[in-house]
Amino acid sequence: MFRILIQMIMAFLATLAFAVLFHVPKKEFFYCGITGAIGWFFYLLVRDYINSIILASFVASIVITVVSRFFAVNRKLPVTIFLISGILPLVPGAGIYYTAYYAFAHETTLAVAKGIEAFSIALAIAFGIMLIFFIPQKVFLWGSKWGKK
Amino acid sequence: MGNVEDDIVNVPEVNEKDNCNNIIIENIVSEKKDQIFDLVMRAGEILLYNGAEIFRVGQTMEIIAKAYGVKSVDVYAVSNGIFCTMNVDGYFFSTQIKEVPFETVHLGRVAAVNNLSREIVMGKYTIDEAMEELERIANIPFAKNRERIFFAGVGSAAFGYLLGGSVYDSLVSFICGLFLYIFIIFAEERKFPKVIKIAIGSAWVTFVAIILFTLGFGDSLDHIIIGAIICLVPGVALTTSIRDIFNGDYLSGTIHLVDTLLVATSISVGVTVMLKLWEVFVS
Repeated sequence: MFRILIQMIMAFLATLAFAVLFHVPKKEFFYCGITGAIGWFFYLLVRDYINSIILASFVASIVITVVSRFFAVNRKLPVTIFLISGILPLVPGAGIYYTAYYAFAHETTLAVAKGIEAFSIALAIAFGIMLIFFIPQKVFLWGSKWGKK
Repeated sequence: MGNVEDDIVNVPEVNEKDNCNNIIIENIVSEKKDQIFDLVMRAGEILLYNGAEIFRVGQTMEIIAKAYGVKSVDVYAVSNGIFCTMNVDGYFFSTQIKEVPFETVHLGRVAAVNNLSREIVMGKYTIDEAMEELERIANIPFAKNRERIFFAGVGSAAFGYLLGGSVYDSLVSFICGLFLYIFIIFAEERKFPKVIKIAIGSAWVTFVAIILFTLGFGDSLDHIIIGAIICLVPGVALTTSIRDIFNGDYLSGTIHLVDTLLVATSISVGVTVMLKLWEVFVS
């Protein structure tokens, strides 16, 4: 439990740091961080209990997209702001790096394995995002000031 | 405007007067349409340049044009360019093409344009005011260098930890991240080409990591380097490209995918070359 908490704090920091590097408006740093932390929590949950990185990325990207669409509607901002920052911990950055690294080291088998893994993770994330984008905007207006008007 | 009224008064016959009047109104509207068109293009350009999604670019441009009374506007946007045609009252009006390089991500500007388009729809801006506001948005400054360097360190450390590094590794990654961004900012100010910037940056950060590791800091060199270069890795571009392809924007998706491959290759060139050099000359 303690480990998960530490991980979530780290995910919060990672997301927040990238929010700064992407020049997100200052007021939104906290919400970006929260998005990342919640996403990472679900990622860990699925990864540890079902033991599949790809499924974990899929579930976590669904959660992150829901959360960022919710923030986007409530704070009247484009969803990208929360989505790009929040999705970052999931994104197969290390996978891409390893793929290229092994390819240069002539370790073709490893390179292909890592490459396919990175690509599947990216696919899973994209699928998760798309799935939530099919839900109409109205659903996310629920409970917000904007929705009541 | 004085001239316009004179013209109308001087027209002798009723029929022709109506006709002329229409043409004059048409002219005034048409003059405004030029401005509207420039405004719409500028908004799209700022959005695309600063990393907005493809569909948002088209949508926002259409929303702004319609708010100012243009009935028909067609936008075709790809990752590095916008094509836009405006039709006025069924007649052909004009087309503009704009090439937009994608290098920066500045989500603050995207948010600002989004906000502006919403306020334009509410009728809060005249065309001139909107144009001024757009120029202000285009010049919203980047975060301070100090902040960027510090948060690059934080990001590197946090990612190093998330990707399986120990606490010591992530502390070393923090320092590497600082050094990396010092170089990136240096390279940005001198306008290095993207590939060179990333290749040299990753070589440089690998060098720092090796030095620190050799001095006895950190547990695993691999994890330190992964954490340190994470700020350069095009993970978002990869995900975006697949999203674009799902959306049917095959061209944009391909452009981003190629970009991802290029950046990934330059990172690994930088890292591998530095590791090899170290092996050959030092150990």
